[in-house]
Amino acid sequence: MANPSPILRQLGCFRSLMKPQSLQHAQISRRSITTAYTPKSQPLDFPSKMPKTFLSQIPTHLQPHSRKKLKVYPPPASATTTCKDAVGAVNQSQLETLDPTGERKALFDYRRNPRSVKVGDIVRVTFKNGDPFAGVCLSIRLRGHDTSFLLRNQLSRVGVEMWVKALSPNVESVEIVQRTAHRKRRARLYYMRQPRHDMGTVENIVTNYLRQKQGLRGIKGRGGRGQRR
Amino acid sequence: MIQLKSMLNCIDNSGAAVVECVNVLKKKRAATVGDRIVVVVQKQRNFASEGAGGSISNKVRRGDIRHAVIVRVRKEMQRPDGSSVKFDDNACVLINKSGDPIGTRMNGVVATELRDKQWSKILSLAPLHV
Repeated sequence: MANPSPILRQLGCFRSLMKPQSLQHAQISRRSITTAYTPKSQPLDFPSKMPKTFLSQIPTHLQPHSRKKLKVYPPPASATTTCKDAVGAVNQSQLETLDPTGERKALFDYRRNPRSVKVGDIVRVTFKNGDPFAGVCLSIRLRGHDTSFLLRNQLSRVGVEMWVKALSPNVESVEIVQRTAHRKRRARLYYMRQPRHDMGTVENIVTNYLRQKQGLRGIKGRGGRGQRR
Repeated sequence: MIQLKSMLNCIDNSGAAVVECVNVLKKKRAATVGDRIVVVVQKQRNFASEGAGGSISNKVRRGDIRHAVIVRVRKEMQRPDGSSVKFDDNACVLINKSGDPIGTRMNGVVATELRDKQWSKILSLAPLHV
């Protein structure tokens, strides 16, 4: 049964050879026409001498001077041209209202101010409403008026952490109780959450500090608001 | 973020030490400080009965189902002024159906958020607020 197919194929070849010559020529010529370059037809000029009665027969978009001119309005003034750095401006204005002296900002600016709060320091914060909170400073977020710091302490053997906004109007004072003995080599002391590195409670250090402060005040005799820095 | 199967410390003297949350009440989400939950007592505190010479018996037993109020959570809580507070453990206080604490004393710090949810009885029992 495999015999007839090769024969058929040969026959097919013959058939293509036996095609009339005229048909083959026609195909070639058709191909050549498609590849030929024809320049794009240019639109003709509008006839200058045209009776007005014919104008109505021409489509409106082709009639001379028929198109109504659209009025183009200038775009509204962009906000970026009037205020280049909007976030920066808000930040600046907030800083001026929340911290007019720039004292509090400098207290946490650990990149520039060498006397600022550093991570690892023991910090005590008093609030306008609520009890004061003291703890080890684990991290400082410098974000302009949104600057905040993380304090960690152990109250009745339970670790408590608090993020405090440095420039919050609720924060009455921030005091450095004790500076870290050595500069910490990390910017964020999150490892101090592990029981192995946990400092435990800082209440003793804070009470000692408060007692000393009280003593200093007694010698000086009510000198303003103590060691508010 | 307290939900089904969360294990909490019980910080009152009701006799429970560790409880497991089985339901969060009046909420379709995870519970936080001040929320009421249903718990099962998993571990009893045994020193309460010994230490007081048997006068204060454990008010709850292992396997009891009780209501509780969450007083501390690990998940940080945002305060209205932008500051946030978190604790190192999850803790609760057992209450009865009417909302009064079962225990008479508490040891440990609790979150001040309880005041917003009108749990003043628990706040007055607590030795420390944060």
